This record gives sequence, structure tokens and C-alpha cells, in this order.
Amino acid sequence: MPTPSNDPATSESPLAIETHGLTKRFGERTALDGIDLQVPRGSAFGFLGPNGAGKTTIIRTLLGLTHANAGTMQILGRPVPAERAAALQRVGAIVEEPRFHMHLTGLENLRLIAAVRGPDAYSRIEPALARVGLSERAKERVKSYSMGMRQRLGVARCLLADPLLLILDEPTNGLDPGGIQEFREMIRAMVEQEGRTVFISSHLLDEVERTCDAAAIVDRGKIITQGTIAELASAGEARHELILGVDNPDLALSTLGGNELVVDVHRSDEGLRVVLAGDPETAARLNATLVRAGVGVTRLEPVRHSLEQRFLEITARLDEAPGDAPASATHEELPS
Amino acid sequence: MTAIALRMTGADFLKLRRKRWLVLLSLFLTLGILLIIYAVTVIEHASNPAKLGVQGGYGPAGGAKNFSDGMPVLALFFGPLAAILIGIEAGTGDASAGVFRDLVVTGRSRVALFASRVPAALALCWAVVLSGFVLLLLGSIVFASNLPTPGTSLVLNSLAFTLLATGVLCVISVGFAAFTTSRAGAIVTLIAWQIVASPLIAHISSLGSARKAILSQAITHFSPVSVEGRHGATVAMSQGTALLVVVAWLVVFLALGAWRTRTIDA
Repeated sequence: MPTPSNDPATSESPLAIETHGLTKRFGERTALDGIDLQVPRGSAFGFLGPNGAGKTTIIRTLLGLTHANAGTMQILGRPVPAERAAALQRVGAIVEEPRFHMHLTGLENLRLIAAVRGPDAYSRIEPALARVGLSERAKERVKSYSMGMRQRLGVARCLLADPLLLILDEPTNGLDPGGIQEFREMIRAMVEQEGRTVFISSHLLDEVERTCDAAAIVDRGKIITQGTIAELASAGEARHELILGVDNPDLALSTLGGNELVVDVHRSDEGLRVVLAGDPETAARLNATLVRAGVGVTRLEPVRHSLEQRFLEITARLDEAPGDAPASATHEELPS
Repeated sequence: MTAIALRMTGADFLKLRRKRWLVLLSLFLTLGILLIIYAVTVIEHASNPAKLGVQGGYGPAGGAKNFSDGMPVLALFFGPLAAILIGIEAGTGDASAGVFRDLVVTGRSRVALFASRVPAALALCWAVVLSGFVLLLLGSIVFASNLPTPGTSLVLNSLAFTLLATGVLCVISVGFAAFTTSRAGAIVTLIAWQIVASPLIAHISSLGSARKAILSQAITHFSPVSVEGRHGATVAMSQGTALLVVVAWLVVFLALGAWRTRTIDA
């Protein structure tokens, strides 16, 4: 039962999660390498990275499922592990996949957690089941549930804490498209209508882009960049690109090849792909140059970068230069 | 116990009692085996009853003597097997179902999570053992024929001993299972220790008084009926030493289980 003195809701910290220099090693392997993470309250925050990047490890470390080797962490303004019990009082989490006692019903599984959380949690069982649409099936054994139903029951289990912070690890795994859409709407409602913070780890960029307000990209145990989704996606537009449709591609290539306005030009499926040296206004001058050279321009379209493209750019660069790339990328790519 | 601790124990008891295979197997070991023994002895007695002054034949299935013979079968052999199964399930159930981490992320102390398993396991263990004891007692009265039935003192002492012997094994199993985190490994190890290794080691006289540390040897010293030479009871020791050995086993395995639960990656 939260009291004014230990309820994380009363903490003044604007951050739901804050880590500094968080490091976790498994023997010789460094799974988390000095992670500095700031997750603002009242947002849906995506934690993006390829498989094996360290997403689940940071969640497990934050929740006290495993110990950090170095660094500091705060959850809802409370230092962990020092004040772990108070910090986790209003935290709900699904780590990896939601697991249950399969021989018990959905309702009984929630009662088990309510028994551990405290008396208030019992009164939240029915509303939580209704919220995730499982009231009708609550008295069936969990082993008869589909993967999607188990995910929803996992969310219901989180809601027993009346969470200020939900930590969801790959939450749409195993959901069908309809289930993913429902899940996305539920997350947005939790953030926008109820003011909760939702931290979602995922390797699905599209999912994070559609669901989250902000994100961090992690790879090989390091945060590569973090910011709002718009900032992350637009950061790539510092390298302005155009797709050109022309009537004479060979002439256009030779014209643009040595031009000072162009960093790179090459053929693509859509036409000529041009990386500009300057800002987007350069496109008009480029068009004039081509027309003067006798090239008919049929299409001139700026390339819009999605988060997925940014993510692929960053991870591809890391693959090319493993070792020093992550540190430099952190500073170069951070949105202003 | 606080209200939360009671609720947590209730939740752990729910997990155990809804495991159908566990309850049925435990009931078979405590109730079923005794039913079979009674069935056989009743049929033997009915088909060839012992007659006064005539050699051969079978005596009645009930009576105080048969109660005294049957009680150690329940308290020292089949009861402990059921206790081990229940204790190990309580000790590993959350981890093997993958829900231990969900309990940990509630922020509740890991030691509290471990501690609530012990009374829950004891409750189920004693419930099934008690059912076997009641059958043993009823059989000894119903099938006593002309034999004396067990007295109140013998019945109460036997009940206390049966609960002690099975309870100790159950609690140790909870701790050992939580320590090893392997259900199969813990079952094989504890049953092999209890049924095979303990009696064998107890018979190695060259080990001398070191054999007093064997749990089953210590427990048998609290038996209200003589079990010397039976069920592996061979090592002499005082009641005080026996009590010390039992307490030491409990403390060590509870501490190991709690330590492992507190430190393991969930």
C-alpha cells in the first residue's frame, strides 16, 4: 500500500528511468557498456536495437532480476537497488514473454501476484481483466490461452500495480495484426489518457515509430542515440537526398558527377539518387544545372527518412567500423 | 504472520493443491499404499485366519500391533516420499513455470517469497499424510477383530511423530530444491539419499558417531514405537543429539534455499 512517504508518485523527478554508466558483464562479455538513459515521465519510450543488443539485459538489471557491475539507476526517482521495493511498487513489467502457472486459471494467476503486491491489488483484478478484454475467459486455465491472450493477461498482471511505469519487453511478439493494433491503442491510451509511462523494448522499428514518443537506439550494449521519434528520424535528413527522374540518365550522371552541389549520385530502382552537399534549397540550383545541360527533369523528390532507415544507417555504420564507431556516433548523431 | 505473509502462503498453497499429479501421487503414497496393505491383509486373514492353538494362518489386519507396524511405513518411508515431492514442487514451482521473475518485479523481498513456500508446502504435506494416518487408525480399529486397539497415547504420539518426520523432510526439500533450482535433480538426489544412501551409510560401522549426523537416523529416535533395525534405524544417540541433528538439517537447508533465492538471477 503506497504511503505518502514511499509512494513513487510523490517523487519530484521528471524522469521515470534514469541510468548513468550502467554496466553489466557476463564473464568476459560486456552486455551493457556504460548506459546513460533518460526516460521522461508520461511518455511512451522505445528502446530499439537488434537481437542481442542488450535490451532485455537492461530491463532485467533495472528490475533487480540481475545485478549491475557498475553505474547508478533510478526508477520513478528512487535509487535502485537501495530503494528497490519502493521503486517497484508502482511498476508493472513483462520481461521477455509473459509466463504463468499454466495449470491455474487467468484469474488465479492474477490472485497470486495480488497476494504478493498487497490488498489494493485484489481490487484491481476485475478492472484489469476487463481492460484487456479477458473477463469472459478469466476462469479458464492459462494453458488454453493463445499467445495473444497471454500477452493481454501479462498486461493485466502489470495493471495490478496501478503502474506509473510499465516496462514491456518485445510486447507484440506473437500477436496477430489485429492484436498489434489493439495493443498499440492500449499503450497510447495509457500514456495520453492516464499519464502512465510506457517503456517498450523492441527490434521492430515500425512498431516503435507508431507507438512511441521518444526512443533510444542501442547496439552492442551501448546507447547509440536517443531523442524524440521526430528528432531521431529527421537527424538523418542532415544528409539531404533527392530522387531524380530524368530523360537522359547517362548525361545527368556525367553532369552531376563532378558538381560541387553533389556529394554522391547513383542509379536506383526509382531513378537517380542524389546526396546533396548543401541544404534542401540546393535542389533548385541542381535542377537548373541539369536543364542547362540539356537534361529533362521529370521528377525531383526529397527522400523522407524513417526511423527504420536511420536505424539501418547507424547499425550498418557500426558493422563497418566496429569498436570506435558507437562512441563517435553517439555525439555525431544526437539530435540538437 | 502478517496479513501479506498469510496471503502469500495461501497463494503458494493454491499453486500446490491445483497440481493434480502432485496431489494424486502424494495421496497414492500415503493413502493408496495403506489401502493396498489393508486390502491384502484383510483378504489373507479372511481366506486363512489364524486359529488359537493351530499353527499357520493370518491374524486380523487391525489392532494395536498392526498400527505400530504400519505407522513407521507411513512416517518413515512413504510419507517422506510424498513430503519430498511436495517440498520440491514448492521450492522450484515458480522458477520452473518462469514466474519467479514476475514475483521479484513486484519489489517484494526474495527471502519473503522463499519463506512463504515453507508453510504452504507443510500444509499440503500434512494434509495428505494426515489422510493416510486417519486410514491407518480406522483400519486398526475396524479390522481389530479380537485384538486390542491402539490406545490414545500411542495414537497421539504416533501422529506427532508422523507429522514431525514428514514435516522435516518437506521443509528440507523446499530449501534443497530452491538451492539446486532443478526439480528433477532435487527429486533424484533427495529420494536416493533418503531411501538408498542413508540406510547404507548408517550400516558402515567404521564411520562411528559421524553417522549420528544422518537425518533419518536422528528422526527415528523420536518414534513412539521401536523401529530399531527396521527402516534403517541402527545408530544410537540421545534425544538431545537427535534434536540437534534435526534442527541443524533444517537450518542449513532453509539457509541455503533462502540464500540462493536471494542471489540467483531471476
